[in-house]
Amino acid sequence: MLRGLVQYRELVWALALKELRIRYKRSSLGFLWALLNPLLMMLILTAVFSTVMRIPVKNYAVFLISALLPWTFFSQALTYSAESIVGNGELLKKVAVPKAVFPVAAVISNSINFALSLIPLVLILLLLRFPFHLSWLWMPIPFIALVLFTMGCGFFFAAANVYYRDVSHIVQLLLSAWFYLSPVIYSLDFVPARFQPFFKLNPMLYLLNGFRDVIYYGALPSWHLVAASLLLGGVALLLGFGIFARYQDSFVFYV
Amino acid sequence: MFDSPGLEPSIIFESVEHRYRVILERRDTLREAFVHWFKKGSHYKEFTVLRDFSLMVFPGETVGIIGRNGSGKSTVLKLIAGIFLPAEGTIRVRGQVASLIELGAGFHPELTGRENIELNGLLLGLSKREIAEREQSIIEFAELGDFMDVPVKQYSSGMYMRLGFSIAVEVDPDVLLVDEILAVGDAYFREKCLSRISGFRERGKTIVVVSHDTGLIEQLCDRALWIESGGIAADGRPQDVIPRYLHAAAVPNAHSLVPR
Repeated sequence: MLRGLVQYRELVWALALKELRIRYKRSSLGFLWALLNPLLMMLILTAVFSTVMRIPVKNYAVFLISALLPWTFFSQALTYSAESIVGNGELLKKVAVPKAVFPVAAVISNSINFALSLIPLVLILLLLRFPFHLSWLWMPIPFIALVLFTMGCGFFFAAANVYYRDVSHIVQLLLSAWFYLSPVIYSLDFVPARFQPFFKLNPMLYLLNGFRDVIYYGALPSWHLVAASLLLGGVALLLGFGIFARYQDSFVFYV
Repeated sequence: MFDSPGLEPSIIFESVEHRYRVILERRDTLREAFVHWFKKGSHYKEFTVLRDFSLMVFPGETVGIIGRNGSGKSTVLKLIAGIFLPAEGTIRVRGQVASLIELGAGFHPELTGRENIELNGLLLGLSKREIAEREQSIIEFAELGDFMDVPVKQYSSGMYMRLGFSIAVEVDPDVLLVDEILAVGDAYFREKCLSRISGFRERGKTIVVVSHDTGLIEQLCDRALWIESGGIAADGRPQDVIPRYLHAAAVPNAHSLVPR
């Protein structure tokens, strides 16, 4: 199975690029949308939070965006990968190909989108005269943890969606609830002390804080944050992939 | 069975049993799943499509599979291709398999013919380098001219089939599986495909064809396999097997699709 994935890495890559190509295919601006979309979103957030709604956090827009970008990656990658097996159902009935290539390709195509959204982020930071920190170089570490975690969730929901088509709706509901329960628009300090233990059970706390540390605070994430997020990512991937692998042989009957 | 001394079989089925799940009342939604949870009923019914099915095919053989609708012909191909796994028994296939089960199954309608060559080739197990080397001969064989750079959603079904066939034969597989696909091509392209398939046979490849066109089987194959009720009803030279199959098909109540 894993060997199959290595052998099919060119296919995974081609599928990921295909997804991006299709997304922007029939628009006249094409790939520019991958940059324009996050740029416009960040501009709006910056405008709103520096004039209309002033939150007593220094450079709140950057504070928000530093966690919103990885969250957007997570939510889109999860949506795409949850649909990936059902969406390629006709193909699975006709070609023998490792089924894991589809959720993996969905996560990779959204990773490329995430990487592209860092370009408009740089523009915004220049505009706000926000200082750049060397800590940016550490971003791959929280990103790897988040990718592992996303793939784990993606494998699980992709498999579940084959059997119950409600899963794609549940994923959307779950994502919007999870968004407000995760430290994106706020941080753990905002949470009343007696609720904090519950918020500490949320894996997203550890996965997103790494990004906020390196982008907003200009600090290296603490080693126990790094360890916790990598551990969460690894466990999620093992569980998600285990369930996917356990059921994949009967996908072909249900898609 | 067949005398092929000194050759190792390229396809072996050893007492294979395959059950096909037919989802009766699809538990597509959680609400239905809850209802069924209490009813404790199984939500699918299993039909045994193949029963104690054993088969050996040797390199250089071109086998035509015939039989009624629903007798399990395409199932045999999908088992060889690895799309289905057998419930019981073992299947061994030596070498690379390319299936023309559905031409252009991996085509994306928004991508051009040229873009689809790469994607489809990768799906069929080629590497990027191999595809680049073969792209020119794929394009030449398909003879689609300027349509190579048009999204395939604008293709006619014949053009679609041309491109799919051209890619699959360029995979140059050891085992080629063909399922009722030559029907859409025009007479010219059909002849071209048939001569390409004959070329495979001369180079010692294994070909398995499923078709209702007994004329095609007789022309193309050196061995015919008649499948009936999940087993092999006859196995031999096409000119011997086909008349028996056609004779049985002429018996009125043999057409029923209900398993007896």
